[in-house]
Amino acid sequence: MNGQRFLFSGALCFFLAASAPAALVFEKTELDLNPELGASKVDAVFKYENKGDTPVHIKAVKPSCGCTTAALAKNDVAPGEKGEITATFNIGDRTGTQVKTITVDTDDPKTPQTVLKFTATIAQILDLQPTFVFWQAGEATQPKMIIAKAAKGVTVKKVDVVSSSGDFTAKVDPGATAGEFKIEIQPKATTKPLNTTLTIKPDVTPAKVYYASARVLPPGTAKP
Amino acid sequence: MKALLRQSAVLIALALLPAVVQALYLREKIPWQSRVAESDFVEVDTARGWAANVIWVDARPSEEFERDHIPGAVSLNEDRWVEGLSQFLGTQWSPEKKIVVYCSAASCNLAEDVARRLREEAKLPNDIRILKGGWEAWLAKK
Repeated sequence: MNGQRFLFSGALCFFLAASAPAALVFEKTELDLNPELGASKVDAVFKYENKGDTPVHIKAVKPSCGCTTAALAKNDVAPGEKGEITATFNIGDRTGTQVKTITVDTDDPKTPQTVLKFTATIAQILDLQPTFVFWQAGEATQPKMIIAKAAKGVTVKKVDVVSSSGDFTAKVDPGATAGEFKIEIQPKATTKPLNTTLTIKPDVTPAKVYYASARVLPPGTAKP
Repeated sequence: MKALLRQSAVLIALALLPAVVQALYLREKIPWQSRVAESDFVEVDTARGWAANVIWVDARPSEEFERDHIPGAVSLNEDRWVEGLSQFLGTQWSPEKKIVVYCSAASCNLAEDVARRLREEAKLPNDIRILKGGWEAWLAKK
Protein backbone atom coordinates (compact mmCIF):
# COMPACT_ATOMS: atom_id res chain seq x y z
CA MET A 1 0.00 0.00 0.00
CA ASN A 2 2.90 2.35 0.86
CA GLY A 3 4.42 1.51 -2.49
CA GLN A 4 1.20 2.49 -4.23
CA ARG A 5 1.03 5.79 -2.30
CA PHE A 6 4.62 6.46 -3.26
CA LEU A 7 3.84 5.77 -6.92
CA PHE A 8 0.74 7.97 -6.82
CA SER A 9 2.57 10.86 -5.12
CA GLY A 10 5.47 10.56 -7.53
CA ALA A 11 3.18 10.57 -10.57
CA LEU A 12 1.21 13.53 -9.16
CA CYS A 13 4.42 15.51 -8.58
CA PHE A 14 5.55 14.70 -12.13
CA PHE A 15 2.20 15.81 -13.53
CA LEU A 16 2.22 19.07 -11.57
CA ALA A 17 5.83 19.79 -12.53
CA ALA A 18 5.08 19.07 -16.16
CA SER A 19 2.07 21.36 -16.15
CA ALA A 20 3.89 24.27 -14.44
CA PRO A 21 3.91 27.39 -16.65
CA ALA A 22 6.97 28.31 -18.66
CA ALA A 23 9.11 31.18 -17.42
CA LEU A 24 8.35 33.53 -20.31
CA VAL A 25 4.58 33.74 -20.60
CA PHE A 26 2.84 35.71 -23.35
CA GLU A 27 -0.45 37.44 -22.56
CA LYS A 28 -1.70 36.39 -26.02
CA THR A 29 0.08 34.40 -28.71
CA GLU A 30 -2.55 35.16 -31.35
CA LEU A 31 -3.88 38.58 -32.33
CA ASP A 32 -6.54 39.74 -34.79
CA LEU A 33 -5.76 43.06 -36.47
CA ASN A 34 -8.07 45.33 -38.43
CA PRO A 35 -5.88 48.04 -39.96
CA GLU A 36 -7.51 51.33 -40.97
CA LEU A 37 -8.62 51.64 -44.59
CA GLY A 38 -5.67 52.66 -46.73
CA ALA A 39 -3.12 52.12 -43.92
CA SER A 40 0.37 51.25 -45.15
CA LYS A 41 1.34 49.32 -42.01
CA VAL A 42 -0.03 47.95 -38.76
CA ASP A 43 1.54 46.89 -35.47
CA ALA A 44 0.91 43.68 -33.53
CA VAL A 45 2.04 44.02 -29.91
CA PHE A 46 2.68 40.79 -28.01
CA LYS A 47 3.07 41.36 -24.24
CA TYR A 48 5.05 38.95 -22.11
CA GLU A 49 6.13 38.44 -18.51
CA ASN A 50 8.84 36.32 -16.96
CA LYS A 51 6.84 34.32 -14.43
CA GLY A 52 9.77 32.08 -13.52
CA ASP A 53 12.45 32.68 -10.93
CA THR A 54 15.44 32.79 -13.29
CA PRO A 55 16.31 35.31 -16.04
CA VAL A 56 15.33 34.41 -19.61
CA HIS A 57 17.43 35.35 -22.60
CA ILE A 58 15.55 35.92 -25.88
CA LYS A 59 17.94 34.57 -28.48
CA ALA A 60 16.08 35.45 -31.66
CA VAL A 61 12.81 36.87 -32.96
CA LYS A 62 12.12 35.67 -36.51
CA PRO A 63 9.17 36.89 -38.61
CA SER A 64 7.79 34.44 -41.18
CA CYS A 65 7.77 36.98 -43.96
CA GLY A 66 9.98 39.79 -45.25
CA CYS A 67 6.90 42.00 -44.99
CA THR A 68 7.07 41.90 -41.17
CA THR A 69 9.73 43.34 -38.87
CA ALA A 70 9.88 42.52 -35.18
CA ALA A 71 11.26 44.88 -32.56
CA LEU A 72 12.39 43.87 -29.09
CA ALA A 73 13.36 46.44 -26.43
CA LYS A 74 15.78 44.08 -24.66
CA ASN A 75 16.90 40.49 -24.91
CA ASP A 76 17.30 39.68 -21.21
CA VAL A 77 14.16 39.42 -19.10
CA ALA A 78 14.56 39.32 -15.32
CA PRO A 79 12.13 37.31 -13.12
CA GLY A 80 8.87 39.24 -12.78
CA GLU A 81 9.81 41.64 -15.57
CA LYS A 82 7.28 42.51 -18.26
CA GLY A 83 7.93 43.53 -21.86
CA GLU A 84 6.60 43.37 -25.38
CA ILE A 85 7.52 42.36 -28.90
CA THR A 86 6.19 44.69 -31.58
CA ALA A 87 5.72 43.17 -35.01
CA THR A 88 5.21 45.74 -37.76
CA PHE A 89 3.41 44.39 -40.80
CA ASN A 90 4.00 46.39 -44.00
CA ILE A 91 0.74 46.02 -45.88
CA GLY A 92 1.91 47.19 -49.32
CA ASP A 93 -0.38 45.82 -52.04
CA ARG A 94 -1.71 43.06 -49.84
CA THR A 95 -5.44 42.46 -49.48
CA GLY A 96 -7.82 40.14 -47.67
CA THR A 97 -6.89 37.97 -44.70
CA GLN A 98 -3.18 37.79 -44.03
CA VAL A 99 -1.78 35.36 -41.47
CA LYS A 100 1.81 35.92 -40.34
CA THR A 101 3.92 34.38 -37.59
CA ILE A 102 6.88 35.43 -35.45
CA THR A 103 9.04 32.73 -33.90
CA VAL A 104 10.62 33.60 -30.55
CA ASP A 105 13.65 31.53 -29.46
CA THR A 106 14.73 31.68 -25.82
CA ASP A 107 17.14 29.86 -23.50
CA ASP A 108 14.18 28.72 -21.37
CA PRO A 109 14.51 24.90 -21.46
CA LYS A 110 10.79 24.48 -20.80
CA THR A 111 9.65 26.58 -23.76
CA PRO A 112 12.65 27.16 -26.02
CA GLN A 113 10.40 28.32 -28.86
CA THR A 114 7.09 30.20 -29.00
CA VAL A 115 5.24 30.95 -32.21
CA LEU A 116 3.28 34.20 -32.16
CA LYS A 117 0.63 34.66 -34.80
CA PHE A 118 -1.40 37.59 -36.08
CA THR A 119 -4.24 37.69 -38.57
CA ALA A 120 -4.68 41.01 -40.36
CA THR A 121 -7.88 41.65 -42.29
CA ILE A 122 -7.08 44.23 -44.95
CA ALA A 123 -10.06 45.98 -46.47
CA GLN A 124 -9.74 47.96 -49.69
CA ILE A 125 -11.02 51.51 -50.21
CA LEU A 126 -12.08 50.43 -53.67
CA ASP A 127 -12.91 46.82 -54.49
CA LEU A 128 -12.48 45.85 -58.16
CA GLN A 129 -14.30 42.84 -59.56
CA PRO A 130 -12.56 41.46 -61.55
CA THR A 131 -9.09 43.00 -61.86
CA PHE A 132 -8.55 41.35 -65.26
CA VAL A 133 -10.58 40.96 -68.45
CA PHE A 134 -9.55 39.29 -71.70
CA TRP A 135 -10.72 38.52 -75.22
CA GLN A 136 -9.88 35.49 -77.34
CA ALA A 137 -8.35 36.29 -80.75
CA GLY A 138 -11.12 37.00 -83.22
CA GLU A 139 -13.78 37.42 -80.50
CA ALA A 140 -16.27 40.25 -80.98
CA THR A 141 -14.93 43.55 -79.65
CA GLN A 142 -17.74 43.83 -77.14
CA PRO A 143 -16.89 45.85 -74.01
CA LYS A 144 -16.21 43.93 -70.80
CA MET A 145 -17.04 45.25 -67.39
CA ILE A 146 -15.15 45.83 -64.17
CA ILE A 147 -17.23 46.88 -61.15
CA ALA A 148 -15.53 49.27 -58.74
CA LYS A 149 -17.19 49.48 -55.34
CA ALA A 150 -16.21 51.79 -52.50
CA ALA A 151 -15.83 50.26 -49.05
CA LYS A 152 -18.55 50.81 -46.44
CA GLY A 153 -18.20 54.25 -44.88
CA VAL A 154 -16.01 55.61 -47.71
CA THR A 155 -17.39 58.32 -50.01
CA VAL A 156 -16.27 58.03 -53.62
CA LYS A 157 -18.05 60.34 -56.03
CA LYS A 158 -15.79 59.98 -59.04
CA VAL A 159 -13.40 57.45 -60.50
CA ASP A 160 -10.88 58.22 -63.25
CA VAL A 161 -9.61 55.43 -65.47
CA VAL A 162 -6.64 55.70 -67.83
CA SER A 163 -5.48 52.94 -70.19
CA SER A 164 -1.74 52.59 -70.75
CA SER A 165 -2.42 51.57 -74.35
CA GLY A 166 -4.38 53.44 -77.01
CA ASP A 167 -5.56 50.05 -78.30
CA PHE A 168 -8.20 49.98 -75.58
CA THR A 169 -10.85 52.47 -74.52
CA ALA A 170 -12.18 52.79 -70.99
CA LYS A 171 -15.49 54.36 -69.97
CA VAL A 172 -16.81 54.94 -66.45
CA ASP A 173 -20.53 55.02 -65.59
CA PRO A 174 -22.26 55.21 -62.21
CA GLY A 175 -23.29 51.83 -60.83
CA ALA A 176 -26.50 50.64 -59.23
CA THR A 177 -25.75 52.19 -55.83
CA ALA A 178 -23.81 55.17 -54.48
CA GLY A 179 -20.08 54.48 -54.46
CA GLU A 180 -20.38 51.88 -57.23
CA PHE A 181 -19.00 52.41 -60.74
CA LYS A 182 -19.12 50.40 -63.96
CA ILE A 183 -15.87 50.51 -65.90
CA GLU A 184 -16.29 49.35 -69.50
CA ILE A 185 -13.15 48.26 -71.33
CA GLN A 186 -13.11 47.68 -75.04
CA PRO A 187 -10.28 46.70 -77.42
CA LYS A 188 -10.17 48.39 -80.82
CA ALA A 189 -9.50 45.03 -82.45
CA THR A 190 -9.08 41.37 -81.51
CA THR A 191 -7.08 40.34 -84.55
CA LYS A 192 -3.69 40.67 -82.86
CA PRO A 193 -2.37 40.27 -79.29
CA LEU A 194 -2.84 43.41 -77.17
CA ASN A 195 -2.60 44.28 -73.53
CA THR A 196 -3.04 47.25 -71.28
CA THR A 197 -2.82 48.31 -67.68
CA LEU A 198 -5.72 50.41 -66.39
CA THR A 199 -4.91 52.99 -63.76
CA ILE A 200 -7.97 53.59 -61.59
CA LYS A 201 -8.07 56.64 -59.32
CA PRO A 202 -10.97 57.22 -56.93
CA ASP A 203 -11.38 60.80 -55.59
CA VAL A 204 -10.25 59.97 -52.05
CA THR A 205 -7.80 61.69 -49.73
CA PRO A 206 -5.05 60.64 -49.35
CA ALA A 207 -4.87 59.65 -53.00
CA LYS A 208 -4.88 55.95 -53.73
CA VAL A 209 -4.35 54.26 -57.08
CA TYR A 210 -5.64 50.85 -58.16
CA TYR A 211 -4.80 48.79 -61.21
CA ALA A 212 -6.53 46.35 -63.52
CA SER A 213 -5.39 44.61 -66.68
CA ALA A 214 -6.95 43.78 -70.03
CA ARG A 215 -5.63 41.59 -72.81
CA VAL A 216 -6.40 40.25 -76.27
CA LEU A 217 -4.89 36.75 -76.53
CA PRO A 218 -2.71 35.65 -79.43
CA PRO A 219 -4.41 33.70 -82.26
CA GLY A 220 -4.38 29.96 -81.62
CA THR A 221 -4.75 30.24 -77.83
CA ALA A 222 -7.11 27.52 -76.64
CA LYS A 223 -10.19 28.43 -74.66
CA PRO A 224 -10.26 27.64 -70.91
CA MET B 1 -4.89 -3.49 -7.23
CA LYS B 2 -8.25 -1.72 -7.08
CA ALA B 3 -6.63 1.31 -5.43
CA LEU B 4 -3.93 1.42 -8.12
CA LEU B 5 -6.55 1.46 -10.86
CA ARG B 6 -8.49 4.21 -9.06
CA GLN B 7 -5.37 6.32 -8.65
CA SER B 8 -4.43 5.80 -12.30
CA ALA B 9 -7.91 6.93 -13.32
CA VAL B 10 -7.53 10.08 -11.18
CA LEU B 11 -4.20 10.87 -12.84
CA ILE B 12 -5.60 10.33 -16.33
CA ALA B 13 -8.59 12.54 -15.51
CA LEU B 14 -6.25 15.25 -14.20
CA ALA B 15 -4.23 15.16 -17.39
CA LEU B 16 -7.29 14.96 -19.62
CA LEU B 17 -9.24 17.85 -18.11
CA PRO B 18 -6.97 20.75 -19.21
CA ALA B 19 -6.43 19.05 -22.58
CA VAL B 20 -10.17 18.84 -23.24
CA VAL B 21 -10.77 22.44 -22.09
CA GLN B 22 -7.93 23.68 -24.31
CA ALA B 23 -9.11 21.65 -27.31
CA LEU B 24 -12.66 23.00 -26.99
CA TYR B 25 -11.53 26.59 -26.43
CA LEU B 26 -8.99 26.60 -29.25
CA ARG B 27 -10.92 24.42 -31.68
CA GLU B 28 -11.18 27.20 -34.27
CA LYS B 29 -7.64 28.42 -33.69
CA ILE B 30 -5.56 25.31 -34.16
CA PRO B 31 -2.52 26.68 -36.04
CA TRP B 32 -2.05 23.73 -38.34
CA GLN B 33 -5.57 24.05 -39.69
CA SER B 34 -5.15 25.13 -43.31
CA ARG B 35 -7.35 27.83 -44.82
CA VAL B 36 -7.23 25.91 -48.07
CA ALA B 37 -9.18 22.82 -49.09
CA GLU B 38 -7.11 19.67 -49.63
CA SER B 39 -8.35 19.54 -53.23
CA ASP B 40 -6.60 22.85 -53.95
CA PHE B 41 -3.21 21.26 -53.38
CA VAL B 42 -1.26 19.23 -55.90
CA GLU B 43 1.63 16.82 -55.35
CA VAL B 44 4.96 17.47 -57.08
CA ASP B 45 4.74 14.32 -59.21
CA THR B 46 1.23 15.11 -60.44
CA ALA B 47 2.13 18.70 -61.33
CA ARG B 48 5.26 17.53 -63.13
CA GLY B 49 3.10 15.16 -65.15
CA TRP B 50 1.20 18.15 -66.55
CA ALA B 51 4.43 19.09 -68.34
CA ALA B 52 3.93 21.97 -70.78
CA ASN B 53 0.31 22.41 -69.74
CA VAL B 54 1.25 24.17 -66.51
CA ILE B 55 2.35 27.67 -65.52
CA TRP B 56 4.52 27.62 -62.39
CA VAL B 57 4.09 30.70 -60.20
CA ASP B 58 6.75 31.36 -57.57
CA ALA B 59 5.19 33.28 -54.64
CA ARG B 60 8.43 33.57 -52.65
CA PRO B 61 10.23 36.91 -52.26
CA SER B 62 12.10 37.98 -55.42
CA GLU B 63 15.56 37.36 -53.87
CA GLU B 64 14.69 33.72 -53.25
CA PHE B 65 13.32 33.37 -56.78
CA GLU B 66 16.52 34.85 -58.21
CA ARG B 67 18.62 32.41 -56.19
CA ASP B 68 16.85 29.41 -57.67
CA HIS B 69 13.40 28.39 -58.86
CA ILE B 70 11.46 25.74 -60.75
CA PRO B 71 12.51 25.91 -64.43
CA GLY B 72 10.18 28.19 -66.37
CA ALA B 73 8.52 29.60 -63.24
CA VAL B 74 7.21 33.15 -63.10
CA SER B 75 7.90 35.31 -60.03
CA LEU B 76 4.66 36.75 -58.61
CA ASN B 77 4.62 37.77 -54.96
CA GLU B 78 2.67 40.23 -52.85
CA ASP B 79 5.71 42.46 -52.25
CA ARG B 80 5.43 43.67 -55.86
CA TRP B 81 1.94 42.51 -56.72
CA VAL B 82 0.75 45.28 -59.05
CA GLU B 83 3.82 45.24 -61.27
CA GLY B 84 4.17 41.44 -61.14
CA LEU B 85 0.51 40.70 -61.88
CA SER B 86 0.37 43.12 -64.80
CA GLN B 87 3.50 41.53 -66.30
CA PHE B 88 2.22 38.00 -65.70
CA LEU B 89 -1.21 38.60 -67.22
CA GLY B 90 0.17 40.58 -70.15
CA THR B 91 2.76 38.03 -71.21
CA GLN B 92 2.96 34.56 -69.61
CA TRP B 93 -0.68 33.88 -68.71
CA SER B 94 -2.76 31.60 -70.90
CA PRO B 95 -6.37 30.60 -70.13
CA GLU B 96 -6.16 26.91 -70.94
CA LYS B 97 -3.16 26.05 -68.76
CA LYS B 98 -3.16 24.92 -65.15
CA ILE B 99 -1.48 27.25 -62.68
CA VAL B 100 0.59 25.83 -59.83
CA VAL B 101 1.64 28.33 -57.14
CA TYR B 102 4.40 27.51 -54.68
CA CYS B 103 6.31 29.08 -51.80
CA SER B 104 9.22 27.83 -49.74
CA ALA B 105 7.72 25.00 -47.67
CA ALA B 106 4.53 23.43 -46.37
CA SER B 107 4.54 25.88 -43.44
CA CYS B 108 4.47 29.05 -45.57
CA ASN B 109 1.19 30.59 -46.69
CA LEU B 110 2.42 32.97 -49.40
CA ALA B 111 1.26 30.58 -52.14
CA GLU B 112 -2.22 30.42 -50.58
CA ASP B 113 -2.50 34.22 -50.69
CA VAL B 114 -1.30 34.48 -54.30
CA ALA B 115 -3.63 31.65 -55.42
CA ARG B 116 -6.55 33.33 -53.63
CA ARG B 117 -5.90 36.65 -55.37
CA LEU B 118 -5.61 35.04 -58.80
CA ARG B 119 -8.94 33.29 -58.24
CA GLU B 120 -10.93 35.95 -56.38
CA GLU B 121 -9.54 39.25 -57.66
CA ALA B 122 -8.32 38.51 -61.20
CA LYS B 123 -11.03 35.83 -61.58
CA LEU B 124 -8.77 33.71 -63.76
CA PRO B 125 -10.64 30.78 -65.32
CA ASN B 126 -7.67 28.43 -64.89
CA ASP B 127 -7.40 25.41 -62.62
CA ILE B 128 -5.24 27.00 -59.89
CA ARG B 129 -3.44 24.72 -57.41
CA ILE B 130 -0.92 25.07 -54.61
CA LEU B 131 2.17 22.86 -54.67
CA LYS B 132 2.08 20.61 -51.62
CA GLY B 133 5.28 21.06 -49.62
CA GLY B 134 6.38 23.97 -51.85
CA TRP B 135 9.91 24.49 -53.08
CA GLU B 136 11.30 22.09 -50.43
CA ALA B 137 9.15 19.27 -51.81
CA TRP B 138 10.27 20.09 -55.35
CA LEU B 139 13.94 19.97 -54.31
CA ALA B 140 13.41 16.66 -52.52
CA LYS B 141 12.06 15.13 -55.74
CA LYS B 142 14.61 16.75 -58.03
